[in-house]
Amino acid sequence: MDVKETIFKSVFFAASILSAGITLFILGFMIVLALPILKQGLFFDMLTGPWAPDHGLFGLGPMIIGTICIALMALVISFPVSLGCSFFIGILNPRGLGKWLKKIIESMTAVPTVIYGFVGIFFLVPLVRELFLKGSGMCILSAAIMLSILISPTMILFFVQSFSMVPQNDLNAVDALGGNTAQKFFYVVLPHSWKGMLTGIILSFGRAMGDTLIALMISGNSVAFPGSVLDSARTLTAHIALIIAADFDSIEFKTIFLSSIFLYIMTSFGIIMSRFSFKKRKTINET
Amino acid sequence: MKPEFFDRLFNYFSWGCSILLVGAVLTIVGFLIANGYQSLNLHLIFDDTRPLDAIFLKSQVFDGLFPAIAGTLFLITLSIIVAIPLGLATGIFLAEYCPPKIKGSFSLLFDILAGIPSIVVGLFGFCVTIFLHHYFYTRLFPCLLISALSLAFLVLPYIIRTTQISLETLPLSVRLTAPSLGATKLQNIFYVLLPSSLSGILSGIILSIGRCAEDTAVIMLTGAVATAGIPKSVFSSFEALPFYIYYISSQYSDNSELMKGYGACLILLFICISLFVFAHWIKKRLSQKILYRP
Amino acid sequence: MPMTENIKINIKNLWFYYNDHPILEDISLEIPQNTITAVTGPSGQGKSTFLMTLNRLWESIEETRIKGHIEIRFGSDFQNIYDKRYNVSDLRRQVGMVFQVPNPLPMSIYNNIAFPLKLKGENNKTLGSFRVEDALKRSFLWDEVKDRLNEDARALSGGQQQRLCIARALVLNPQVLLLDEPTSSLDDKSGRVIEDLLLELKKDCTMILVSHYLDQVKRIADSGMVLSDRQMKQQW
Repeated sequence: MDVKETIFKSVFFAASILSAGITLFILGFMIVLALPILKQGLFFDMLTGPWAPDHGLFGLGPMIIGTICIALMALVISFPVSLGCSFFIGILNPRGLGKWLKKIIESMTAVPTVIYGFVGIFFLVPLVRELFLKGSGMCILSAAIMLSILISPTMILFFVQSFSMVPQNDLNAVDALGGNTAQKFFYVVLPHSWKGMLTGIILSFGRAMGDTLIALMISGNSVAFPGSVLDSARTLTAHIALIIAADFDSIEFKTIFLSSIFLYIMTSFGIIMSRFSFKKRKTINET
Repeated sequence: MKPEFFDRLFNYFSWGCSILLVGAVLTIVGFLIANGYQSLNLHLIFDDTRPLDAIFLKSQVFDGLFPAIAGTLFLITLSIIVAIPLGLATGIFLAEYCPPKIKGSFSLLFDILAGIPSIVVGLFGFCVTIFLHHYFYTRLFPCLLISALSLAFLVLPYIIRTTQISLETLPLSVRLTAPSLGATKLQNIFYVLLPSSLSGILSGIILSIGRCAEDTAVIMLTGAVATAGIPKSVFSSFEALPFYIYYISSQYSDNSELMKGYGACLILLFICISLFVFAHWIKKRLSQKILYRP
Repeated sequence: MPMTENIKINIKNLWFYYNDHPILEDISLEIPQNTITAVTGPSGQGKSTFLMTLNRLWESIEETRIKGHIEIRFGSDFQNIYDKRYNVSDLRRQVGMVFQVPNPLPMSIYNNIAFPLKLKGENNKTLGSFRVEDALKRSFLWDEVKDRLNEDARALSGGQQQRLCIARALVLNPQVLLLDEPTSSLDDKSGRVIEDLLLELKKDCTMILVSHYLDQVKRIADSGMVLSDRQMKQQW
């Protein structure tokens, strides 16, 4: 009997080591593959410089700027809308409609990103082109709009969750003092829930940065530094998808390992940050 | 006057945002349906081949979505077969055995794994394949197996998390029942704890299936191609619905191909939403009563 | 005062800590065989914890710690139940426990009662069904369920579920039975049935009963203890 217990415990432990090992191995493998260019000491140049393979320049600067611009803009569009929707669900909830809105938003998490990309190409891009009468419509703005729809469920569900953790007593106190809904939000809900909301924002930013298909399909993928939101841009994820067809031993190919490392470290950093804002609460109860 | 004004503004703002987002979703779905409903028929899937012949592999489908749908199904099945045992075992370890001191680092790693962009996981799968191809087995190329393994890593954290959380949130009364009757730790896990948390674990697995069905970035780097037919083995390249949609959006040559793209979108959307609804249904309705065999 | 040869459980200088806070302080107690010892006292003072020290069930709860000595007499010799070599599963088969809220497992009535046999690895079907029947009879439940042994146990009424849990604890013929407020979630009538049952079981088992109801304690217990401020005091 004891032997069986030990065997199973070891199997469970081995599985955990394997799963955790994969996570670290992905980063390690990428670093090893990127070593040839890291050794040349051009790390900083590569992160900031321009991309012009014909002139021997393989800087990721435009892609990093493109990634940050698109993700940040998606966040800027998504944040107010998400805030409004989470008010609707968590605070106003008129005639029980909040529950329904929440259901719709939850099911949005199941929509494949390639579908957002597809609708982006054939619906949003022509619309942007007509509206601004400039360029092809494949631009930062189009990608950011679609991405904002992609990330809003993450943000809204985090916001709603942190609103729901506000103690009911405090809410009742404001009600008893005759405070209105807006006052209730600013004086009670916000002070209690901003940490959880911050987590939601960080994680959705990571999601926006990590998405490939939307940017690849509708941001135009130009390798120049973007000058306005109507300019075409290329994200790091799209860069990986586009360069993968190149020769494995070329310098071009090596840059996508650098892109991966950058993305890996950025998203991990976001997750570590979000962990700080979520503290585990311990309950002491006598059993 | 002033507070009332703010209150009203607050109200309008909430309503406005909600209407905007729901409107955007309806526009997306409506746009797809309006453009794609005409192409939704058996011809879209099976072309001119008889459906039963295609399903039993008697004759090949050249122009329909059947190979892409079949490829996606194979892909899901393979990745889930890999991810479930690994994820369950890890989840059980975290919830039942892991010393509190190292639990934190483990769950941080799994959170990171969940956050890694899928294209990075795909690139990893691609590079491992090239590496193995160079040094061990020259006949190995990006293929169904590599895609499935990469996808398995991608969904692993979901299965680990749902298993761990479903086990950890079981009430103490359930947790103590079997030990009080002389059960060992392992007996408690297999006879009581896992069956009691089955609905939570199952819904996590279904959500992972949805994730496998929709992911494009991983498979485009690890073996999905535009035309391959039904994969003959796990070492051949394959077609998949999401990749097909991506491919059509950039490479369509005429309107009828584009129409097929719309049709593929609707089918994929339907599959993903159904899996999602199914997962929620299981979580809610299907108690362990039905799943636990007496 | 009981005579020494009748002592079943011997507790010496028992301390218990949760999160480094003492819950029980220096408890020493002798419990005579074939009696019902009642433990009363304010809620949240560690009465359930005290029961769990007797079958080591607290070990499944995190951040707990124990100090002291507990011996139970199985057969003719006293056994130190915290001895490293002592198998905890064997202990729990000899020291059964019934909880405050009935906790039938999500399976049929029959399988619930047979579950401890399955855990022990006893596969004899005929003997098994005999023991299930015996346990159900001893817990006054047989007549009510004999025609529907294959139904889900959670379909039974609260009182029936609690008697089912007692039957499940009895199927291994334990020598000690720990009862954690077994009637508090039941109505008066179902509670009375359980009280009668416990009195009947006294000939086979030594029982420790945690209870809130003083009248219940007076009706069935042989001696009464009060647990308050982490101390155990003999009341009568």
